[in-house]
Amino acid sequence: MPQLSVSPSSKSNCCPLWLIWVLLGLSAVHTHAKDVLSVPQQVSLSPNRFARQLSISWLGGAATTFDLMILRTELNESAFYETLSVNPVSGQHLWNWTSAEPLECTSLSIKVRSRDGLMTSEWSNTQILQGNDLPSNDKFQVYPLDTIVPVGANTTFCCIVEEGKVFGDLLYSGAVMNTTRLSRRTYASTMVNQGPSVSSGTNVICYDSLRAIAGAVVFVGYPPLLSDFVCETHDLTSAVCHWTEARDTHIYGKRGVRYSLNKRDCPRGKQQQKHKVCTVDHWEGNWTLVAVNFLGQYSLNDSAEILNRVHPVAPTKVSSVVDAWNATVLWQWKYRSYSSLGLVCQVELTCHGSKTNLTVSGVGLQSVVLSDLYPDEDYSVQVRCGAQLNFWKWGNWSEAFTFKTNTYVPEAPDVWIWMNGDNTGQIVWKPLTRRQSHGQITGYEFTLWSAEENVQHTQIFSPGATAAPINFTQIAAFSSDKIIATIMAKNVKGSSQPASVVVPLRLTEPLALSRAVYTESGFPLTWQSDANATGGYVVEWIDAVCTRDCSVEWIKVAAGHTNVSVVSANFQPGVRYIFSLYGCSSEGRELLQRQQGYVQELVPSSSVLLSTSQQNSDVLLSWGEIPLLNRRGFLLGYNVYNSTGSELKLLVNLPDKENRSYTVKGLSEGSHKFTVKAYTSAGEDTGATGSITLELYADWLILEILTSLGITTLFLVIVTFICYKKRKWVKKAFYPDIPEPKLPGDWSRRQGPLDVKPSSHSIMHIVEKPDWDSSKEALVVIPEEDEEEEGQGIGDEPVDTDEPTSLRYYNQVVDERPIRPRYPDSSDSSASSLDSARTDVTYTGIQTSGSSLVFQLDSQGSAEGHQPHTDMSVSGGGGGGGGGDYRPQMQARAPNDDIDLVSSEPFIEAASGGGYKPQSSWHLDSPVEGEENGGRAPSLGSPTSVASTQFLLPDGEEHTEERRQPSSSATTWFTNLLSSTKP
Amino acid sequence: MNGHVKRMSFQQFMELTTTLLSLLLVMAVDSTRTVAASSSQECGNSLQQTLKLTRLAQKESVLLIKTYKAAQGEMSELFCKVSVNNVPDPNISGLEPSERIASIYTHLQSFMAHFKRVYEQQTDLQLPTSPLLGELTVVSARSRGLANLINSFYQSLFPNLPMPEPAGGPTMLPPPQNVFQQKVYGCAVLKNYKEFLSNVSRELRTLKGKVCRRRIESNTFLLRMT
Repeated sequence: MPQLSVSPSSKSNCCPLWLIWVLLGLSAVHTHAKDVLSVPQQVSLSPNRFARQLSISWLGGAATTFDLMILRTELNESAFYETLSVNPVSGQHLWNWTSAEPLECTSLSIKVRSRDGLMTSEWSNTQILQGNDLPSNDKFQVYPLDTIVPVGANTTFCCIVEEGKVFGDLLYSGAVMNTTRLSRRTYASTMVNQGPSVSSGTNVICYDSLRAIAGAVVFVGYPPLLSDFVCETHDLTSAVCHWTEARDTHIYGKRGVRYSLNKRDCPRGKQQQKHKVCTVDHWEGNWTLVAVNFLGQYSLNDSAEILNRVHPVAPTKVSSVVDAWNATVLWQWKYRSYSSLGLVCQVELTCHGSKTNLTVSGVGLQSVVLSDLYPDEDYSVQVRCGAQLNFWKWGNWSEAFTFKTNTYVPEAPDVWIWMNGDNTGQIVWKPLTRRQSHGQITGYEFTLWSAEENVQHTQIFSPGATAAPINFTQIAAFSSDKIIATIMAKNVKGSSQPASVVVPLRLTEPLALSRAVYTESGFPLTWQSDANATGGYVVEWIDAVCTRDCSVEWIKVAAGHTNVSVVSANFQPGVRYIFSLYGCSSEGRELLQRQQGYVQELVPSSSVLLSTSQQNSDVLLSWGEIPLLNRRGFLLGYNVYNSTGSELKLLVNLPDKENRSYTVKGLSEGSHKFTVKAYTSAGEDTGATGSITLELYADWLILEILTSLGITTLFLVIVTFICYKKRKWVKKAFYPDIPEPKLPGDWSRRQGPLDVKPSSHSIMHIVEKPDWDSSKEALVVIPEEDEEEEGQGIGDEPVDTDEPTSLRYYNQVVDERPIRPRYPDSSDSSASSLDSARTDVTYTGIQTSGSSLVFQLDSQGSAEGHQPHTDMSVSGGGGGGGGGDYRPQMQARAPNDDIDLVSSEPFIEAASGGGYKPQSSWHLDSPVEGEENGGRAPSLGSPTSVASTQFLLPDGEEHTEERRQPSSSATTWFTNLLSSTKP
Repeated sequence: MNGHVKRMSFQQFMELTTTLLSLLLVMAVDSTRTVAASSSQECGNSLQQTLKLTRLAQKESVLLIKTYKAAQGEMSELFCKVSVNNVPDPNISGLEPSERIASIYTHLQSFMAHFKRVYEQQTDLQLPTSPLLGELTVVSARSRGLANLINSFYQSLFPNLPMPEPAGGPTMLPPPQNVFQQKVYGCAVLKNYKEFLSNVSRELRTLKGKVCRRRIESNTFLLRMT
């Protein structure tokens, strides 16, 4: 800068020069500064759109601090502005910027300037990273495309609408997001905390206003996470490494996890399987597994000696060499290297589902001998092995191999004998099981033989037979006392050992039965040791119901044992079993004990047979015994119920099962129902019901009636006898003679005309009774015709006759006939008496007033519908009250029940006729009554023209007439009775 | 005399010959009718068999679209409405029956190529256990079987007409697509295929009354010419 030199000699020019100097200095400083902060040159951009990264490089000279500005080009909005310290590499400055939005969303303008403190250079030329929203690219787009993000990440999506279209919505997995505008066509939104996506990814869709759509897919998942990485060898050469995916990455397909083992890629297996396998041809001792996906990687290590990781493969080509009781199983190995390997093998033997494990070992093991097998039995065998030294793990099981052992002669059957009570029986044996038969049984050979005589009878039975019948007729062919029955089972391999039993030639007496109680372990039976039971003991049991050829079961107990618990699969509840204990010896068997019991007692299955009968007023219930089969338990007794009503009422509990009758007492008449239920320890049966209808006990009633009748009859006989014996006294007391009528006074005092015109020869007998007792009826009306029939025989005579009617007084009534209606007769006679010249009037008592008779007649007549006649009679009587006319007809009607007036004319005629009234003088005897009765009083005491069998009672007793009528009839009968006794 | 005899013999011979020829002609006509009838029956049977298989394929395609949509995630109903280029047209082209049958055949061939592409794309997006992959395989195989039947039917109807090559050359498959485009593309292929099968059914029903009857008529015409 030569121009900057200044001359000092010129003072007057000093100030301007100095000023110039200063200005030049300042200018120089400024020029220098501009030289240091150079503007960044050659700014270049390198975008990584998948990673949303933008690498910006420039030449910035010596500066290490720069201002970096990133603007969204269209809207000139700042996307990034920072001051950076960037060290140059080969003079090149490089800065990586990660955009929040996909780089395709919109164009970015990038410029850089150098900074030194507060000084900055000019901005570099703006570099533009073009987005996809340029007008030249007018498509509808969504970004980022196919991006993979970890779970929980925040991702910004942008939507570039088609040119000329209007933005609508941006949706993430169906949910609308809030958007911000990045450019004229670009809208962006950020999804925070994203969850794992499905295998096809999560859809992001953008709508425009016309509902056109564009979209993108984002995959959200996890980086790999592994566990259980281990390597082993099968062939003693290669390595097989296993591991497990501890977490599902949610990213599959070509975006899924890639594995490498010791930097060698592992083939992709099935993506969903968590257990992964990768094979290496040679054992390397150390392994590193690396799992990588777009979100990260994970590695695991393993190291081991090959002999410590031997995992044998499964044996192959398994075969066998079999015998009846054992077999040899052979196999081969896939790898020859096993021939020198110490192996330990497990053999699993299966027979009918039962498994048995056997462990064998050896170098290069290829066979095993299986012993203790059963003949003619199917077996299945599997083998697996492991390294005998440094055992790692069992290899896989071989395929199941089956074989069958050879057949063998069968075992001797278990034989026993069952004797019926009729000299027959059967030899029984238990069918051989599969394990005992050692092959298909072809038959049984049964033999009866005598050792002494060496005689035998042999019989062959089919394979299904379990019994051989015997009888003593057959045995009788043997003269020996000891007969032995033997049985041998046969199959293709031969015959079994003979099983023998001594046939008892005498039936054993049955012992008393005791009770056996069933427990969980069966029927426990104990007994005293028997020295004679050298051959042990046999406990046999049968169904108690069975009596012949029973299905017998038995169990043999070795000598020396004195107890056994009897268990059978055939035991059934409700069935009574009888257990017999036999002591066995070479000479035969001996019954030692008998017991009976139930596995479980049940209620009886049937009811008793109930019958009812009446005994007097009691009911006798009787019932039969329940059959043993139906008892199903030990009967404990019976309950008797009265089941007349709706409920059962317990009458009595009969604990004695032998007592099978009961008398119910104190029952009333009517229907009764009774129920009898037998009960066991399990409860009652359903019960048997009987009904009975109790009837009145008639015998006693009849007896009582007969007794009463007898007593009454006897009494009557006695009374009759006494009356007969004392008939005079009776007659005197009750039927005194009617006294001769007294005729005191003047007969001329007549109160009325006496028109009676009896014929001159009329006869009237009047018996006077001095002491008249009104209570004693002595007058009985004797019908006239009776008199005529009996005495005169003039019944056929005309009524109206000129012959004088004879009037007679009888002191006693002689008529023996019972009282019977005879009114018409008397009426007739009375009527006839009015006109006949001969009228018989008999006074056997004191005549009551005519009105009373009329009244009685009236009452009778009204009942008979003869009121008019009665009225006429009454009026006639009343009308003649002052007359005291004689009206014998009225008297005659009174005692008769059947009143049938022949005609009223005779009465009228009699009334009009007036006539004879001798009673007028009696009026004095009863003046009061006479007044009360008016004109009827004069008729009282008229001894004439009245045929009456009644007592002539005073008027005062008129009202009692009706009540006295029965006694009057009885009296009449009695009078007749007495009269009949007259001599 | 001899000449008369000869004449008579010749006349008799001619009569006999005429009778025999008439008889032969009657037999020929009758046998031709039988052949025509049997050909018509064969045509109908073949067409009926093709129609049945088409209906079966149509049902399977309907089910496949449901499965496809379910396997594509949320909003699959939306993007399945998008129309896509480079997917076979569901319409059958051509005027003559031979052309239309050939169009059916070439369409099926084209769809099979697209099925293969869709299968490849979905293999990357679905788990191996996904029912979509299985159904895609079934539908693709059914399409192949249907194409074979159509080809046989065409050959039986038009034995002298070789099956024309596709007009546009080999099937054009879409360029590499992003996943969203793959989803949309697959759905469009399946939808078009379903619609195409519907058109095929309709076309086959039309052909049944047209082609097989014409075949009878042409046979009859040939007989008349004979």
